Amino acid sequence: MKPTVPHVAGELARRLRTEILPELTGFPANAVGMGAELIDMIGQQWDSAAANLVAENRAFRELLLRGGVMFGDAALTAAGQGADEDLRISALTAGNDRLRAALILLHATIEDSPGDDARALEDAIWAALRDSVCARQIASANF
Amino acid sequence: MKEITPQLLEGYLADHMADMRDPQVTNLSRLPMGASRETFRFDLNYTDTAGTAQALKVILRRDPPASNVDSDRAHEFAAYQAIYGHGIPVPRMLLLESDPAPFGGAISLAEDLRGFHNSEYQLQEPEWADRRDYVAQQLWSTMGRLAAVPADDLDLSFTRPATRENTARQELEYWVAFLDRHDVGPEPITRAAIRKLQRWQPVAQKLALVHGDFRAGNFLYDDAGTLQAVLDWEMAHCGDPLEDLAWSMTRTFSFGKDDKRSGLARREDAIRIWEEVSGLTADPAALEWWELFNCVKAQAIWNACSHVWMAGTAANEVIHAYAAWWLHNSQDKAMLELMGKL
Repeated sequence: MKPTVPHVAGELARRLRTEILPELTGFPANAVGMGAELIDMIGQQWDSAAANLVAENRAFRELLLRGGVMFGDAALTAAGQGADEDLRISALTAGNDRLRAALILLHATIEDSPGDDARALEDAIWAALRDSVCARQIASANF
Repeated sequence: MKEITPQLLEGYLADHMADMRDPQVTNLSRLPMGASRETFRFDLNYTDTAGTAQALKVILRRDPPASNVDSDRAHEFAAYQAIYGHGIPVPRMLLLESDPAPFGGAISLAEDLRGFHNSEYQLQEPEWADRRDYVAQQLWSTMGRLAAVPADDLDLSFTRPATRENTARQELEYWVAFLDRHDVGPEPITRAAIRKLQRWQPVAQKLALVHGDFRAGNFLYDDAGTLQAVLDWEMAHCGDPLEDLAWSMTRTFSFGKDDKRSGLARREDAIRIWEEVSGLTADPAALEWWELFNCVKAQAIWNACSHVWMAGTAANEVIHAYAAWWLHNSQDKAMLELMGKL
């Protein structure tokens, strides 16, 4: 049995809060408290981060391909092609950024486009963005 | 960053305060307040020109080399001076040093109102439950009184000029430009919110001094929950008083992790208190515009925290990484809710 990253991070954050923080006051206490929160966030996001990015990227590509067909836009179609080969978080994030940039252009275009197909695609874009926000929810967030 | 020491302060005060002889600085410590400025407190003892011993408790704020907001000591100092004596409790300003040379950054000194609380999270503790409604009344009635102060009665020469007709567009343009300068990658939700805000802007009922960061956590309160002073005026400007009301209701400031805004009151109760005291009406469409606008403004500030952290300067603090990580997704979620897409 090996210690997992979420377990180690969670335990480290707990010890910072219970063993170090009570020894401090003022600004240093505040900094250590926030440091413990950051470590908690790393632990919570570690296991799912790659899976979430892969799912997001797949959803965004599908939307861009639909947009490319709807508007006959080769650039959108090109943006929606491909797959995630490199599964490092940095590579997935770079791909996610490229897809989000293209999605912004599609979203702006679709808002000004009439018709049921346009509304359906717009709804699908909002649904994908909602799924992204829900998947990225921080456990300790106020909202 | 240059270290602020008692000796540095004593030397500066002896040289620059003609009525202050033999200044003695003790109990100097840094306070855990905010991501945009460094805040210190100290005790100051000196002899005045009449030979009388004097004692002051002092707050020192210093501009860092890089900040998550575009403001400076002179701006906040002028904002405090503008509102002082107009029915909104604020600390008395003592000194402004705009030259960064003496302390490694511009500083301001103000009276330190001690013995009070400012924690937004303390108000969520069970022992404060019986006073939360009262604190809510204090928060939004003070905000209402600020909204009611005639802008013409105040010296607002320190802030960008505004009209009732242009303040919404002006603020939007300002914060979109700030967001663009602190790019953290493409943000489809924020960009959709900006497009929505650009389609229509409300006309303000009146112009007022807008605090710009008026929420739980930015005022002092006593053990009974009575508001003693409103702090952190660095984003103050002339504008639509609905902006402050909307900011205080931003979801990321739901410190109780429930429907209560600023962790204190339901949205409709906050609006009711503010309307009763300000004598103004919170037009629903205008308020919703300002709520969505404030999400864009907040996201711009969180993104600026990312930039300060990544810049790796001496101004880089843990709070910058914390704000960037902890708040960004929540702000996206708040925008989805306000646009009816959550």
